[in-house]
Amino acid sequence: MFWLNLHKLRRRLLTVSARVLEAVVIVVVVLAGGLGSSWYMVEAGSRLTTARYGPWLTWTSAARPDADPYTRAHFANAGTLPLSTEVERSFIARTDSGGERLHSSCEYVIEGRVPTADWWSIAVFDASGALIPNPAGRHAFTGQTIALSSTGAYTVAVAREARAGNWLPTKGAGRLAVVLAMVDNKSADLPVPTDATALPTIKKLRCR
Amino acid sequence: MTTMATWALSRLHVLTVALICAAILHIVATLAAPRLATATPFAQLTKLAPLHAFSVLAPVTPKTQPLAYMAPDVRYAMCRYDTGRGPVSVQATLPGRGWTLSLYTPEGDNIYTAVGSDAQPTEVALQLTPTADRFLGLTPEARGLTSEKTATLAIPTGRGLAIVRAPDLGLAYAAQTEAALKRATCTARPF
Repeated sequence: MFWLNLHKLRRRLLTVSARVLEAVVIVVVVLAGGLGSSWYMVEAGSRLTTARYGPWLTWTSAARPDADPYTRAHFANAGTLPLSTEVERSFIARTDSGGERLHSSCEYVIEGRVPTADWWSIAVFDASGALIPNPAGRHAFTGQTIALSSTGAYTVAVAREARAGNWLPTKGAGRLAVVLAMVDNKSADLPVPTDATALPTIKKLRCR
Repeated sequence: MTTMATWALSRLHVLTVALICAAILHIVATLAAPRLATATPFAQLTKLAPLHAFSVLAPVTPKTQPLAYMAPDVRYAMCRYDTGRGPVSVQATLPGRGWTLSLYTPEGDNIYTAVGSDAQPTEVALQLTPTADRFLGLTPEARGLTSEKTATLAIPTGRGLAIVRAPDLGLAYAAQTEAALKRATCTARPF
């Protein structure tokens, strides 16, 4: 009788354990699937909300009143206040053209052609979007301040130490983000580039 | 494998419920995210932008940068508006390319933007009106008076920020740019 009861108790314990394990698995699936997928869609974006051209990423409905919930959540969390994509197209690059993370221990060269936009700028930030302190007080170039080559192209050096020409200092910043912004009022809705070649390339030269 | 498949089939309803719950949580988390954000851009800039008056912000430097990824090559003038007590008039001149006047809701929606061009200075005159349908008094025209501004654009909105952006062309143009930014006005104008 004693052994029978013990056997029943053991079976009951096993059943309860299986139920508890099942509940834990369900909770994990719900939390990871629900919150995780939401976090990913808000932070990284998807093809529904972003467009990628080489290393450059743009949120296609940024700051628009009819923006989707992911875009709204992204910019609210990021703490930024961009212009609507009706007048501004803003691209952010966190990797070089080879797909490796931008880092201040490396030196990069950004090469591109002057965009057709009314006004444009290229700026470098640390990974959190903060400007990088430097004695030169230099953080960005615009269409009005950048030095162009005779062919209408531009080259920007992103490096710790000073470089000739257009140089953006990055000393001590760690991971980097480069932002290319274009403002234009010629069209009601700024078109996104048709291919990656319309945007500048980011080539890594060397790392320390 | 067969045992696993049998178990999965027997728990299909549980899996379905879990997926539905995950989908609901996904939607709720995404929609709630903007409201749960601890430091929204509007909250950050509210400290810098007075009510119904433009304030020219200091040049954006690593020490003064109020928002992440805020363009450092731009000077800003900001005004916080609230049409709860009556319409608000916003006027600015955009002398050239790169200049913009934009309106933002507290949620970060850019509901209006005017862009300057080099061809000629762009004069912008906006009348921000409350969104709620309520009587605000008679307009100057209804009282037989001539309105000061004729070419104004009426925009229904509640609270928000008006921001004038000016390209920072360097020290040589700093005083000129700042003077142009200071000419922007943001005034509560009850009928």
